[in-house]
Amino acid sequence: MTDTQITLTVNGQRHSRRVPTRMLLSDFLRHELRLTGTHIGCGHGVCGACTIEIDGATVRSCLMLAVQAEGAAITTVEGLAGEALHPVQQAFHEHHALQCGYCTPGFLAATIELLRENPDPSEAEIREALHGNLCRCTGYVNIVHAVKRAAELMRA
Amino acid sequence: MSMGHNDPRSVPRKEDARLLRGQARFLDDIEPPAGTLHAIFLRSPHAHARILGIDASAAHALPGVLVLTAEDFPHLAPLSPDLPLAGFAPVPRPIICTDTVRFVGDLVALILAPDAYIAEDAAELVLVDYDPLPAVVTLEDALADGAAEVHPQAPGNLLFQNRTATEGFDAAFAAAAHVFREDFSASRVATVSLEPRGCLARHDAGLGETTLFSSTQVPHLLRNTISTALGIPESALRVVAPDVGGGFGMKASVYPEELLAVAAARKLNRPIKWVGDRQDDFLASSHARDMRFGVEMAMEADGTLIGFRLDVLANAGAYPGIPFGSSIEAGGGPRTFPGPYRFKHYAFRTRAVATHTTPSGPYRGVAAPVGFMALEGMMDRAAAALGLDRAEIRRRNLLVDADYPFINASGIRYDNGPHHALLARALELSDYRGFATRDTDPDRLRGIGIACITEQTGQGSARYRARGLLRIPGIEAARLKVEPDGSAVLFVSQTTQGQGHLTTFAQMAAESLGIAPEHITVQEGDTALTPYGSGTFASRGVVAGGGAVITAAETIAAKMKRIAGHIMEADPADIILRDGVAEVNGVPGLSISIEEIARAAHAMRPIGMPPGETFGLDTTQHWDQPVSSVSAACHVAEISIQRRTGQIRVERYAITHDCGRMINPMIVDGQTHGAVLQGLGPVLMERLLHDSEGQLMTTTLLDYTLPTMLDMPDIAMDHIETPALDTLGGVKGVAEGGTIGAVPALVNAIAHAMRGYDINIRAIPVRPETLLRAISTKDSR
Ligand code: FES
Ligand code: FES
Repeated sequence: MTDTQITLTVNGQRHSRRVPTRMLLSDFLRHELRLTGTHIGCGHGVCGACTIEIDGATVRSCLMLAVQAEGAAITTVEGLAGEALHPVQQAFHEHHALQCGYCTPGFLAATIELLRENPDPSEAEIREALHGNLCRCTGYVNIVHAVKRAAELMRA
Repeated sequence: MSMGHNDPRSVPRKEDARLLRGQARFLDDIEPPAGTLHAIFLRSPHAHARILGIDASAAHALPGVLVLTAEDFPHLAPLSPDLPLAGFAPVPRPIICTDTVRFVGDLVALILAPDAYIAEDAAELVLVDYDPLPAVVTLEDALADGAAEVHPQAPGNLLFQNRTATEGFDAAFAAAAHVFREDFSASRVATVSLEPRGCLARHDAGLGETTLFSSTQVPHLLRNTISTALGIPESALRVVAPDVGGGFGMKASVYPEELLAVAAARKLNRPIKWVGDRQDDFLASSHARDMRFGVEMAMEADGTLIGFRLDVLANAGAYPGIPFGSSIEAGGGPRTFPGPYRFKHYAFRTRAVATHTTPSGPYRGVAAPVGFMALEGMMDRAAAALGLDRAEIRRRNLLVDADYPFINASGIRYDNGPHHALLARALELSDYRGFATRDTDPDRLRGIGIACITEQTGQGSARYRARGLLRIPGIEAARLKVEPDGSAVLFVSQTTQGQGHLTTFAQMAAESLGIAPEHITVQEGDTALTPYGSGTFASRGVVAGGGAVITAAETIAAKMKRIAGHIMEADPADIILRDGVAEVNGVPGLSISIEEIARAAHAMRPIGMPPGETFGLDTTQHWDQPVSSVSAACHVAEISIQRRTGQIRVERYAITHDCGRMINPMIVDGQTHGAVLQGLGPVLMERLLHDSEGQLMTTTLLDYTLPTMLDMPDIAMDHIETPALDTLGGVKGVAEGGTIGAVPALVNAIAHAMRGYDINIRAIPVRPETLLRAISTKDSR
């Protein structure tokens, strides 16, 4: 198996590793860097649980190879909060927008991207923007409420 | 918008912070120990075939690869879930196939490699020689004359059958003014917890102890089953459920992969890790709700119910599941059918049918979502035939306060249930009366549907014994320990997969302990830490688990009062535990802190214990819920259908709900929202499709479509809290009713929207093309 050297930045920290060329980015983050907050719900790009931010845009990490992230700046769920929760995390907590929490990291990434592009989205815009992420627990009802609340918190 | 959010009882969840920060530990997040072998399970590509030979030589040639087959596990006995009761065929489930495979996905070999990528490579190199045999896939196939038999022990492919009739049934039916008939059916669905199943087994040869981490709802049952199948003492086994990414009943079964991981770990003395992918999950995690309900309903001239005759069929798949057995859906169908209505006469025949498909198992609501589609569908048909409003026909038959306590036609006791109030409030909340004024867009057909439902929750040991399910104890237990610093730990025999137990149980214990919920840590899911119990399924959490928590908390509270009374020279009966202190009723200013009581109990204070009192604040209490507890709801769904495409959109959705006294209304609402999603999907889109050979065609989330945020409406919700009389703390179970109500409410709304068209809505999912055909046939005339 061929290995390739990659260098990238994850949550502000630089990493330089040799990885098998065929290794998925999601596996690299989860099993090489032990950043296990990024979850795998399908492995084929449908559920959005593995969504992370690469160079300012959301990406499904199960559809990318680690070597394709050479030189990239990545943010995963572990990089969102400081001492206090990120406002989107805070809103999800207040509005009970997570149950098992497996889909949550992907929803957080997608919500942060939405609110960056549209700080005051309507309910229809929220549903349009986040419908690529699947949740099996919440029925999405409280996720929609939480995103509205997060928008308020972030505008404040 | 839900009301529950503003209720002071709706404290935010203790479990959230680590989930939000990415610090949770789901199964695949556990760091594999050194030397771990990664497993792939080689599955049958045939629905029915004889295994002629397995050639693993090419796979073995890869570095570090091992291939294990049935020959390597000569002592693994097949498992039997059901008691040898009348009506059950004694069909065992092999843990790994020896000579015959019986569904696409049946386990043939275990492939182990030092990394998961190499295991995948190796799996492609194992050659299995199969001799395909004829397969039965559908209920019709399996029941046809001369059908291939799935098991010789189940003639006619009947795994379970039961029939019964109440006294005087035939005469009552013969005298009825009206008898309505209809057949209802549901397509087979998958649960799709977002986290697939997986497990990690580790053996310590020196200690002779094995630990299994598994994404399961039932660690204690799993440990018990492994012990039986592998002949290991339970005391040498520890099963841990880490964070679990959804279960919904599917993870309440014990699966062969878990047993094989333990067997292989012990055989090889190496840690074995398996993480199922989405395809594994579609093929080998239990399927559900592939059912038919043939219904006859007898009524008086004025629409008063006389009774029902049912003919129920459930496609149980290739084997009985462990531990719920082959009767889970076929038995549950008639048991849950009677709902909130008053009728005396009831007859049914029910059958669980074996086919060459993935075994069926419990999934939120089990058979009830389909049963209530049938029951509530019949109420609408009767209303139409009798010219009554659909709310009115229900009013004429819903139970009233004077009926309680009520024993329904299938023997279930109802202590109370505000069914009329639920219906009336749901009609208001949904503005049922204003429907016609909203029905204006000429491009859309609009419909509104009502469903009045019950949810049987909190089953205890008596019900599981009656169902012949010996492997399910039905009890729960809680150990409560107050540490010398006054903080408390509660170990509960259940597990949580998102239901918020760590918060709810802490709130329940806090009520009598006077310790704030944030100072009560709840631990679940580890057989080494928690007392023995059944697990989390069938909406048993707050009733069965909660019963144990309340009992444990009251036991410790009583002891703390005795100690406090001794120290303060007061009568224990006058002690009030509140806000972290013990006060003496009527003596302002006299109090001691719970920390001081705890120190006294641990011999760390000059004035110690009352004479004869034992040290410690530590108790384990069991709870066996004597009778099931019945929750209730009314759902009103309003939908529209686009004439051009047949696409259905859910416009408005209202629920009124009674689950007794609520501990945390925000969590109750959340459970209900999620349950609605799992009813909406199977009505609008979800179905597992097989070809005629039994090949599953839907094994990705592209083929098996799930509802997204665009499909789910906002939900207006209101509660009519009616404390239970038959449980501790007045609670009733919750979490399945949303599914049970959503299926009939949506189906009835669709049928209502199609009222002018020549179509009979009685099967789910309701496909747009079916609606479009009916619409264009009429509109083009
Ligand atoms: S795991 Fe990447 S989209 Fe589902
Ligand atoms: S919270 Fe469980 S999948 Fe979304």
